[in-house]
Amino acid sequence: MVWRIAARDLLSTLRDRRTLAATILMPLILIPALSLGLPLLLGSFIGGQQQERQKVGVVGTLPLALRTALEQDEQQGGQTVRAGVTLVPVTDPGKAVQSGDVEAAIQAPAPLPTRAGQGSAELEVYAKTSSLRAQAGAYGKVQDVVDRYNRTLTLDRLKGLGLGADTLTPVTVKSIDASPPQEQRSGQLAFLIPFLMLQFILSGGMATAIDATAGEKERGTLESLLVSPVRRAEVVSGKLLATTITALTSACFSVAGFLISGLVAAIFLKTRSGLGADITGAMGGQLSLTLGGTLALLGLAASAALIISALLIAIGIYARSFKEAQTYIAPLTLVIVLPAVMLQFADFLTLSTAVYAAPLFGSMVSILNIVKGAAQPSQILLAILANLIGAALLSLLALRSFGREEVIFRN
Amino acid sequence: MTQTQTMLDIHNVTKTYGKFTALKGVSLSAPEGEVFGLLGPNGAGKTTLLRILATLLRPTSGTAAVAGYDVLRRPEEVRRRVGVVNGGMGLPARLTGREVLRSFAGLYGMNRAQTEARIAELDAGLELGRTLDVRAGDYSTGMKQKVVIARAVIQDPPVLILDEAASGLDIFARRTLLDFVLATRAPGRLTLYSTHVMSEAEEVCDRVAILHEGQLLTVGRIPDILAQTGEGNLERAFFSLVRGGEQRAV
Repeated sequence: MVWRIAARDLLSTLRDRRTLAATILMPLILIPALSLGLPLLLGSFIGGQQQERQKVGVVGTLPLALRTALEQDEQQGGQTVRAGVTLVPVTDPGKAVQSGDVEAAIQAPAPLPTRAGQGSAELEVYAKTSSLRAQAGAYGKVQDVVDRYNRTLTLDRLKGLGLGADTLTPVTVKSIDASPPQEQRSGQLAFLIPFLMLQFILSGGMATAIDATAGEKERGTLESLLVSPVRRAEVVSGKLLATTITALTSACFSVAGFLISGLVAAIFLKTRSGLGADITGAMGGQLSLTLGGTLALLGLAASAALIISALLIAIGIYARSFKEAQTYIAPLTLVIVLPAVMLQFADFLTLSTAVYAAPLFGSMVSILNIVKGAAQPSQILLAILANLIGAALLSLLALRSFGREEVIFRN
Repeated sequence: MTQTQTMLDIHNVTKTYGKFTALKGVSLSAPEGEVFGLLGPNGAGKTTLLRILATLLRPTSGTAAVAGYDVLRRPEEVRRRVGVVNGGMGLPARLTGREVLRSFAGLYGMNRAQTEARIAELDAGLELGRTLDVRAGDYSTGMKQKVVIARAVIQDPPVLILDEAASGLDIFARRTLLDFVLATRAPGRLTLYSTHVMSEAEEVCDRVAILHEGQLLTVGRIPDILAQTGEGNLERAFFSLVRGGEQRAV
């Protein structure tokens, strides 16, 4: 009987193009767009700035070696990995930057030293320092070239004294990424994975839940269902099943979206090199899963779909109409967004086991752990259990509402 | 001699919504083989009474039994034996009439052969035709109401409750509905027909009960009510009873 009620609601959902788009197409389009497109876009912007020859204004004269270093392209394996800048004379460096005539401007109030030991002088660099474009472009290039110029002068002086380059750096640092391979691939956008999964569970279940509750009331079909010889518990269970199936379908498509973007990212990073590709890789947001991880992810997604569906039905049945239900349900997005904001700072938080007992939030943290390859079975089970208990309580609330005359006939 | 079964038995039913009393100690009964009319203006308490009989509302006090089953103690048995249609009932817009009927037949435990045979029967009786294979969202009011009626009687219930079922129907759809109601007058069956259109009641009802402001004013055969009030038609008799009731209340 439960399946018959669910099948009726599912058939109705399947014939709704908007719902199908929200359940299937949106995860497949939005997830690659966010998890792959964003890093690619950022990598391409920054890489583009490296390849572009910006105009840099100059007040007065610069040592020839410094001028040459600034204007020169940086080559690697016969390819230009960083273009130099074009120096143009300006009179007011601040105004030139503000007007956009140049992207940065340099001014040496006093002559700059041409060899180490001649004392030091200040080089003023004008740029919109908070701009990512300036940092990745002209401003960053000037800073790098001046650092190299200083190092060249120092090394020349050390060479004159019979000392090598290692005199400057008796100890060097070699960074080795000790995070698991999964965590390396997940990158800085890893928090997007649990956020988007739960967001799609919510949006996927929303249309079915509202249609099966407030929508039935509005159309006058709920009364006909309630006068059939079906128990109220079966009606609630059927609607819960239908909503959970659509929510879970959406979650599965969101996982597919992540896997597709992971695959595309791997192909892209293999064929590209340079700073842009490095940034794309570091931003990450890609999902790679083991069999155990996949099963754990499905368990978490199913339990999250169940609790979200129960919540949607408990709210939906209270509303008089489809529109009223949408008004009540829209703020639920915050239930997903706010914990996701917290997840960005998960590295700074010391999470106790109790966190996993928080319905939905425990799931988000667990999914993040799975993505990073750092999940513990006990924490995953606790998160699933918390969701199931929450779902049971909300289902009881929904069942109570289906039995209340003032709720059923509140239209 | 065969004994007539009582299909409807209501004793002193009262229903309150907060401080408002919708039904005030209503008692009536109806045997099998009748089309029983429930008449009254909007707000008389007809829908409340019918929803109690359909187990959708609980009476505040009193008892009611449908087809021999108490609405509070055996609600599922009652629901198995009643079909309900009201003017506000709709259909899932994205399902065809046939899919709706099959879905409800499943809820009543009917197998595929029984379902298809019953759909064919209803198709002939209600002149559903191609309506059955069109999505409900594309139905006219008349088409929709025919399928709603077919859905309500898919399990061939002994008790049929029609609450303002003809409201909004065009002349053809109304005729089909009234003919269908007349065809339900048979042994082992009872049709409760609620309306505020007196001419409909005169045409299809064997007996009527007149409700006004939650109170039962009279119950009886239409000729008896006309004789009791001295009026020539049911509408005039209704006004006479309502005014008499109001004067008694004053």
